[in-house]
Amino acid sequence: MAETGRLRQAAITSPLLSPVTLVRLAIIAGVLVLWETIAASGWLYRDVVPSLLAIGRAIIALLSSPEYYWHLGVTAGEIGAALTIGGLSGLLVGLVLGGSRFMGKAFEPYLYYLGPTPKIIFFPIMIMWFGVGPASKVALGTMSCFFPIALSVAAGMRQIDPVLIRVGRSFRLKQWQMAWKIYLPAMRHPIINGVRLGLGVALIGTLLAETKLSNRGIGFLIIQAYSLFDMPRMYAMLIVLFILSIGANALIGRLGGLDSIKRL
Amino acid sequence: MNRSALARIPGLPALFGFGCLVVSILAFEILIRAGVINRFIVPMPSQIAASFERVIIEEHLLERFVLTFKECFYAAILITLVGVSLGALLHRVDLLRRATETWVAAAASAPTVLMYPLFLVIFGRSSTTIIMMAFVAGLPPVILKTIEGLSGTRRVLINVGRSFNLTQSQMFWKILFPAAMPTIFVGLKLGLIFTLINVVGVEFLINFGGLGQLINDLAERYDLPGTYAAICFVILVSVVFFVVIERIERWLRPAD
Amino acid sequence: MSVASMATTHTAKTSAQDSAGLLVLDDLSKRFPTPEGTVVAVDHVSLSVKQGEFFSVIGPSGCGKSTLFNVIGGLISEYEGNVTVAGERITGPHPSVGMVFQEESTFPWRTVIENVSFPLEIEGMPKAKRYEKARHFIHMVGLDGFENRYPSELSGGMRQRVSLARTLASEPKILLMDEPFAALDEQTRLLLGDKVLQIQEELKQTTMLITHNITEAVQLSDRIMVMTYRPGKVKRVVDINLPRPRTSEIVGSDAFGHYVAQIWTDLREEASRGLTEDEGRRVTRATR
Repeated sequence: MAETGRLRQAAITSPLLSPVTLVRLAIIAGVLVLWETIAASGWLYRDVVPSLLAIGRAIIALLSSPEYYWHLGVTAGEIGAALTIGGLSGLLVGLVLGGSRFMGKAFEPYLYYLGPTPKIIFFPIMIMWFGVGPASKVALGTMSCFFPIALSVAAGMRQIDPVLIRVGRSFRLKQWQMAWKIYLPAMRHPIINGVRLGLGVALIGTLLAETKLSNRGIGFLIIQAYSLFDMPRMYAMLIVLFILSIGANALIGRLGGLDSIKRL
Repeated sequence: MNRSALARIPGLPALFGFGCLVVSILAFEILIRAGVINRFIVPMPSQIAASFERVIIEEHLLERFVLTFKECFYAAILITLVGVSLGALLHRVDLLRRATETWVAAAASAPTVLMYPLFLVIFGRSSTTIIMMAFVAGLPPVILKTIEGLSGTRRVLINVGRSFNLTQSQMFWKILFPAAMPTIFVGLKLGLIFTLINVVGVEFLINFGGLGQLINDLAERYDLPGTYAAICFVILVSVVFFVVIERIERWLRPAD
Repeated sequence: MSVASMATTHTAKTSAQDSAGLLVLDDLSKRFPTPEGTVVAVDHVSLSVKQGEFFSVIGPSGCGKSTLFNVIGGLISEYEGNVTVAGERITGPHPSVGMVFQEESTFPWRTVIENVSFPLEIEGMPKAKRYEKARHFIHMVGLDGFENRYPSELSGGMRQRVSLARTLASEPKILLMDEPFAALDEQTRLLLGDKVLQIQEELKQTTMLITHNITEAVQLSDRIMVMTYRPGKVKRVVDINLPRPRTSEIVGSDAFGHYVAQIWTDLREEASRGLTEDEGRRVTRATR
């Protein structure tokens, strides 16, 4: 975080042609030239490396097709539902585990060790339970984001500086005032960070499930482009997807004040 | 007060947690036998346990495990060599680091595994696709943590090196690298976890290779207890994998 | 008030029974059960702090100063003996007692003015009014112009001043401070001492300071109580008859040196005991 802060500062002091910007432009230009050379040479199989022009056209075609936005809406809805269900249950479980040493010791190891297991392998089960429609994708996304959020909240609750709780008590705060004015703001960074991690894995879980078995959503479009061997379209979709997901990630971080000292 | 006193009794919370796990498994068994839960959606835990033997023998579980392990191993070697070298390079060339570190961080948060259809086109349905996918997904944290570890070396240690007139390469191998080891290993830990997740995940998705394909196969054959048993086995493998990495990390970390 | 105070303290036989005392400790003891046996942190302590008085408690590390702070502040509600503020027995955090903690205790998610107006917000005071009042206390601790900064943008000394202003804003009858400047360097500490003296002059604030720093205690106090090392008893109470208003310039005077020497003689025995019992790693700081 400090790094990006420094970078931004450097960018402000010399807006256009700082050495960093020059190096970046050089790298981008180098990659593009190399790409175009490979595309033109035909060293790789036909269309594995399509020309930049083709990719550019595909991106424009994608962004100007209403169909794409409909699929994007389906996926966004699935991710939103997954994040809501997984986030709320994660918050609840995290509060219980973080608030009680006993519960934490009893159940947290399970979450801790189950967290980094591959979730996509549960997809066959999710299909049996929730069918082949969006519900099974939501279930997989929920499973994915529950763990990082619950673990972040539990850890955040334990990391609250005890002196802040003493300050609250010294001013005789009521229970709800303690929760609202001390615990929640003191935990804002771990909570936001948990949501950020949760969004990342919910997105992966949902989209992978869509690529495996579905008839709608961005994941479906990607695998459809694969089966039609429409490489420019696949590149276009991956590029747009990455930009969207990196943007959403940065947005949550910004809203949570993760890279600045500003408040929530 | 009462409960925090209970929490201090060694082993009791863990016992309670384990007890709850056992009780919920038993509850499932009873509910399924009673017909409350449909046994064609959730097989009985006893059935799952019973099918382990069958899965091990008939589905060649151990051979598949070895295949998955090999893929993880090659990807791990790749992310270690490439990640640490790239990290060291970026640390050495500050301008390059300042230009690209945010890109690497962005790549770390991007859903790179969605590129698997692309890799499928390039490398075909093969182990190479799986290994490359795991490599791409596991690389960014290793690079980032290597940079962090190397630039976080305490000033005084560098000054010690200077006072002994160390050459650049001595400085790197004798001071910077050992000092950065614990942090680099944190990156490797993350990278290896991503590796395992991606190897198994892509195996499942492209229906090729070891344990991931086994789950896909069993599910397509509607072998419910077998599917559940295979999933349990994969979870077991990843938990053991994770615990081992944790142990190594703790062992590498200087006592403080 | 005095009636209540008499009623609750009439069993005591000590000099603490002073009807003018705003804060009265009457035969206070606090024991903690530990695996190695019971530790007596505070042992039969009686004292009385008068309205407007600046009273310091000094002692080596491990003498139970912090326990005393937590009992008076109401954060430890079970104890033997009696502690009263304006005649009311302390059983939990009391509205008349304002606490300033040793640790950095500003809310990092609130600006200076949001921090300082915190107790007023809890009281339900409207925003405009509480900001106006908060500004008054921010001015008092000399942080004008920093109202909209976050604690992370301030130095350690400034943050402790924010904590002080926040506590003052609740207008406590007694200001209770636990080594508030312990983490700061000597110059900052002396200058903050000046600030505290100035505020003391302005508000006639009854204050109890817990410290292990002799210079700080003599610079600020009307009376200083020296505590013994474990169990924490009253070793001696010293009247500091230095003229007021004071500033840190007084630190160089002969009278000041005399008091410091006198207290150090008392404290030295206790600190050495603490050191030999291998508890006194921090005690060296008290010799400054």
